[in-house]
Amino acid sequence: MTRADRLGGGRFRAGITAGVGLLILLLLWEVLARALSGQFLLAAPAEVLSWLNAQRGLMTRALIQTLANAAAGFLAGNLVAIALAGIAFVWPRTERPVTGLALLIFCLPLVATGPILRVLLGPGNGPQIWLAALAVYYTTLIPLLVGLRAAPASWLDLVRSHGRGRWAELIHIRARAALPYLFAGLQIAAPAAFLGAMVGEFTGAERGMGVLTIRFIRAMDVPAIWALASVAAAVSILAYASIGWLARAVLTEPPPVILAPPRAARARRWSGLRQMLMTGGLALLLWWAAMQALDLNRFFAKRPGDVFDALFLAPDAGAMRATLGSALLETAVYLLPGYLAGLALGAGLAALIVLVPPLAALAMPLAVALRSVPIVTTAPLIVLALGRGAAGTTALVAVMVFFPTFVACLHGLRQAPGQIMDVFDSHAAGRLSRLIHVRIPAMLPAFFAAARVSVPAAILAVTVVEWLATGRGIGSLMALSASISDYDMLWASVVVVAVLSVLCHAGVAALERRVLRRYAPEQEEP
Amino acid sequence: MQADTASAMPPEIVCAGLSKSFPGGLRVLPPLDLTLTGGQTTALVGPSGCGKSTLLRLIAGLEAPDTGRVTIGGESPATMQKRGAISMAFQDPSLLPWRTVRGNLALALKLAHQPADPGAVDRMIALVGLAGFEDARPAALSGGMRQRAAVARAMVTRPRLLLLDEPFGAVDELTRRQLAFDLPRLWETRGTTTLLVTHSVAEAVLLADRVLVLSPRPARVVADIPVTLPHPRRPAITQEAAFHDLADGIFSALMAGAGQVPAQTAP
Ligand SMILES: Nc1ncnc2c1ncn2[C@@H]1O[C@H](COP(=O)(O)OP(=O)(O)OP(=O)(O)O)[C@@H](O)[C@H]1O
Ligand SMILES: [Mg+2]
Repeated sequence: MTRADRLGGGRFRAGITAGVGLLILLLLWEVLARALSGQFLLAAPAEVLSWLNAQRGLMTRALIQTLANAAAGFLAGNLVAIALAGIAFVWPRTERPVTGLALLIFCLPLVATGPILRVLLGPGNGPQIWLAALAVYYTTLIPLLVGLRAAPASWLDLVRSHGRGRWAELIHIRARAALPYLFAGLQIAAPAAFLGAMVGEFTGAERGMGVLTIRFIRAMDVPAIWALASVAAAVSILAYASIGWLARAVLTEPPPVILAPPRAARARRWSGLRQMLMTGGLALLLWWAAMQALDLNRFFAKRPGDVFDALFLAPDAGAMRATLGSALLETAVYLLPGYLAGLALGAGLAALIVLVPPLAALAMPLAVALRSVPIVTTAPLIVLALGRGAAGTTALVAVMVFFPTFVACLHGLRQAPGQIMDVFDSHAAGRLSRLIHVRIPAMLPAFFAAARVSVPAAILAVTVVEWLATGRGIGSLMALSASISDYDMLWASVVVVAVLSVLCHAGVAALERRVLRRYAPEQEEP
Repeated sequence: MQADTASAMPPEIVCAGLSKSFPGGLRVLPPLDLTLTGGQTTALVGPSGCGKSTLLRLIAGLEAPDTGRVTIGGESPATMQKRGAISMAFQDPSLLPWRTVRGNLALALKLAHQPADPGAVDRMIALVGLAGFEDARPAALSGGMRQRAAVARAMVTRPRLLLLDEPFGAVDELTRRQLAFDLPRLWETRGTTTLLVTHSVAEAVLLADRVLVLSPRPARVVADIPVTLPHPRRPAITQEAAFHDLADGIFSALMAGAGQVPAQTAP
């Protein structure tokens, strides 16, 4: 492969491979559906089309409603992300608390925040928009922060050599240098907003794709479920593709790989812990202040103290902890194997596939497309196929982790700097040796970035499937608590799940720092 | 304005007791005293890693010295920066990839608070031999072309002090000689004081009025060689004996500075 091939290759060819991939997928689908006909599992493409045709009106109304909410949330979430990135950049001291809090809020389980927002905001579109915003802002904030710091020092020297300060830097250099990162974040955000809006609709909205999802799952209406999934997937893929298209129209440089590099390990031993405690304290304070300021009813708007009481001081605190604990354990048993399998499959398949370049050209657009398929619609399908037991849930988590990992790793593997690859080419080194010496080290940061972001994604997946389909674990517990107005339990599970997610995230980040320091020291942030 | 007439004289650069170390105790510059005559072109030659770029960055005010100070026409680098009087072409061209060649030059004018001047921009681009590439983006230029674009960007603001860090390392010999013929004429008419780093002894002799040879790190001036050849220097000058004598002198000084025995000059 020549360098030019790696860099360009032509958009036209990429379009063709994507088309071929889609065609293969459709064919597989049709064949599988015929093979499985009579088992009420899989509706064939033709069946789905005829269902959609018959239910045009219903589907269009629901789609418009969900799209409107998703768009509002997308806009709000991204504006907040841009504002937060601006604050963190202008006052570097605020960066740690801002990103820490942002992560914590991103880790709130949507399945429980949905019902809570519903009681706080009442009927209407509020919770849908909020959840869509919550689903997007973090994945925009982090790349943006990276992008704002991505400008090489000599570009900034140019500004300073003319006696200009940080503002000129920001306006003439950094804002523009961050643009590709912003677009990459927005691209991930588009399908996520759609997903967030749908989850928001689970919590008692009147109209929308989420409402239909619940209705059809209850009725086990297989063609309808597949039709919903197809429409949601098509919309998400379209949103993803059109932002990619917009980025290519605006930008002249190739898209970056979003790594969100871990912070340099210059920090003293305990400063990470101190940061975490401070962020936690700040979160509690903000939580309490928000509830007090809005003067919300203590019955459903719990304060930090109420949750603490319920968990440790109340007469039935022990029973509550036991319920929570066993639900968490039940979830963890499905979550961990799925998470690890998703990571291993994603990285492994990406590494294998670069050994066979034509295959990579085919797999990449497919994976990018499938990554944007909303989990809420695939969940019922996978459970339909694999049953309500361990296999279904674990597979679903694995799928949720697999796609982003695969895409990130493939990006990372391809990232290997051109000149270094040329050196290997000049020694006629084989694909395998290039893979081991150049590509895998270049892939590691992308892999870990995916592993980190996959923590909340995996938790979202497992809680959604537990709620919608299997009826066990923490997801089901949260749904149940919401339906019987057990707000102590609901808030407690939100807190516990969020804290556990943040801890897992921090654990992955710590592992990442150790591994990168050993195997790819040049990839760490300077 | 009076200040302007005073500063219209090509500024003299004075480094007094200038020293710089980097974290980890790496001493790059020992206390260094240096005066560059206003309006002259001075070339710095010295082994790789000896501290040439560091010295340029100190003079440009991009780096603060540990001790000592720099004055440019009696003012601090920071003051001169704010007047838009300093330009530096960096060792790596660092053009902004999203701007065309023209756009990169235009940005320099804007950063220096100077009015947009499309005519001057295009003339400058033509002077470095990039006519026809005004609308090209850096990615579409060769390494040498990018370096020339960076030099054009540094010069378009008509700086009083021009700092060039290995400006023509990747430029072919013929173009380099052409530039060595064209650029100094412009510096002369504009009253620019120029300090240039180069690894090419021939380039130093072609361009400079004075060559400073530096020792390996920490950088001391081991030789201060005036270049007495008359301007403008036509490309054919490289065939003259005076050119070769100067080049040999610089080379011997480099060897001596590095602690090696100077080569025997050819008979
Ligand atoms: N920011 C920095 N931090 C630490 N060390 C530095 C830094 N910048 C330069 N150095 C060190 O200072 C020394 C001089 O660097 P400098 O870039 O000035 O060399 P130079 O003479 O320009 O070399 P070359 O001809 O290769 O460009 C080098 O040993 C380099 O490692
Ligand atoms: Mg240098």
